[in-house]
Amino acid sequence: MNEEYNAMELMTIIASRDIEDEKIIYVGTGIPMLVTSLAQKTRNLKITPIFEVGGIGPEMPTLPLSVACSRTTWRALRAADSSEAFEIAQAGFADYAFLGGAQIDKYGNLNSTVLGDYHAPKVRFPGSGGANAFASFAWKTMIIMNHEKRRFVEKVDYITSPGYLDGAGARERIGLPPGTGPYKVYSTKGTFDFDEKTRRMRIFALNPGVTVEDVIANTGFELVIPSKVRDTDPPTREELRILRDEVDPYRIILGRGEA
Amino acid sequence: MEMKILEKGTKFQEPKITPNDFREWVRDKKPRVMKDKVMDAKTAVKRFVKNGDIVSISGCSFVRIPVAILHEFLRQGIRDLYVAGGTRSYDVNMLTDNGRVSHIDPGYIIGLEVLGIPKMTRKIVEQAVTKGELTLTEWDNASMAWRHKAAAMGIPFIPVRHMMGGDGFKYSGAVKVECPFTKEKVVLVPALYTDVALIHVHESDIYGNARITSGAIVEDWGKVRGAKRVILSTEKIIDTEEIRKQPSSTFVPYFYVDAVVEAKYGSHPGNMPGCYYVDIEHFNEYMKACEDMTGKALKEYYDKYVFSVDTFEEYLQKIGGEKKLKYLEDLEFLKVKPGGNSQ
Repeated sequence: MNEEYNAMELMTIIASRDIEDEKIIYVGTGIPMLVTSLAQKTRNLKITPIFEVGGIGPEMPTLPLSVACSRTTWRALRAADSSEAFEIAQAGFADYAFLGGAQIDKYGNLNSTVLGDYHAPKVRFPGSGGANAFASFAWKTMIIMNHEKRRFVEKVDYITSPGYLDGAGARERIGLPPGTGPYKVYSTKGTFDFDEKTRRMRIFALNPGVTVEDVIANTGFELVIPSKVRDTDPPTREELRILRDEVDPYRIILGRGEA
Repeated sequence: MEMKILEKGTKFQEPKITPNDFREWVRDKKPRVMKDKVMDAKTAVKRFVKNGDIVSISGCSFVRIPVAILHEFLRQGIRDLYVAGGTRSYDVNMLTDNGRVSHIDPGYIIGLEVLGIPKMTRKIVEQAVTKGELTLTEWDNASMAWRHKAAAMGIPFIPVRHMMGGDGFKYSGAVKVECPFTKEKVVLVPALYTDVALIHVHESDIYGNARITSGAIVEDWGKVRGAKRVILSTEKIIDTEEIRKQPSSTFVPYFYVDAVVEAKYGSHPGNMPGCYYVDIEHFNEYMKACEDMTGKALKEYYDKYVFSVDTFEEYLQKIGGEKKLKYLEDLEFLKVKPGGNSQ
């Protein structure tokens, strides 16, 4: 077993440790699938994953390639439709949602739609998918993304999924269900949460070998820095083994961490 | 009591098909007799599709998509389409790659989810948007699902509790109001009635009483029930007696359906839950063609698999025939590992 790990493996493992047992989790496409599957396999959790197009409580024998792929209904409790899946979340059952994105700002607003001018896009991404609804309805939204200055920006080019918008109380003012919002951000540098008063992103814990200065240098906005910052334990051999051998043996997503 | 309008999306427009238009169509055009509707894909597309149609497509991404029908769209030159775009990928890419789409209501477009983003497809969309040849009205998978659902219900809009916190609202056709009952702010999304829905299912009788026997339903109840015309393609044609034995398993009854096309493996290279898995090798070939930013390789891809063949059966031979399809069936049931050999 190679004790070294790439950025994708590190983020996946750290995020998976935070998944709480006996909860309902909305799983977006890509890395969130890895995280959920790893949590199920390492800790034998009794969580209920829900996929936005209808899969409820599947076992996911292999990594799903799409939110609709047959692995998202494999030995599932129910194969519903998209409206039902989103209605369950709108009614308050979504404890957690897992999202990724191309850009994030200090209030946890996420962009997965467009870079540059909307009408003459520099880069067009697939768009919201289920993300806007997840970020609106889930009690706690967890976000996973690579930590780079061009991704952690002062202002996102486009808000696909609402974080705390422009600060405390903004979600409620605009009409989103109260008591919801970003909970944690897992990046290649560390784990971040949001200051209760200002709703600005705050360093929660540092990944192995990362310093506060390193995080600051790679972040395009001012982070809240608490007096005490935790250190995250490196991936264990067992976590790496399960992730590599059982969750993504063909390195479909993990392979991207090598770039 | 009045409902206060708080904000409107900039892409707000009068609906192209209203609930009353739809009711009249249903009264005058939808079948009330169980008659044999079986026809080939070529005939179904010729008879029920026209340029400029608002079209919805079954399944999601590359799962339970009606590829056999979409090949006919390409071969018959169907163009200028208005596409309902909740969770689309390879299906809508086939149309945008070939310049057949003038408008999309996207939830999710271009990307093949875990398999990555095809670069040439993305460039084609970016350029078409910049030139104004392709217009987009931003939605998301939840609002698209509920817009289809509203159409199925025969109503003009449905209130939802998301969308207000993003730029998607600004570029959408939604309206934010104060709820007359609770005083909460809600977003109204308009029903999406379509001209034609292309739906791939597992089983149907010759009249269109159909079943989806495995996998997520996605938005397909709404797509079928809110479409003026429905082309159903099915893995298998079954006897009506089978339907009558188990009515709670019926996905839709015959009167929504206009054409029944038998298309075994009709979702290839996509996944048909309970039948066959994703043909990853084929998608790798497509993704590789999309690496060539001149567009030449992508054109060759479509020439090879769509334009140089006459029927879907011929296409299935080209992608590897029986041996490949057996492998994909085994892969679906975890009887073989990716890249392994079927027994």
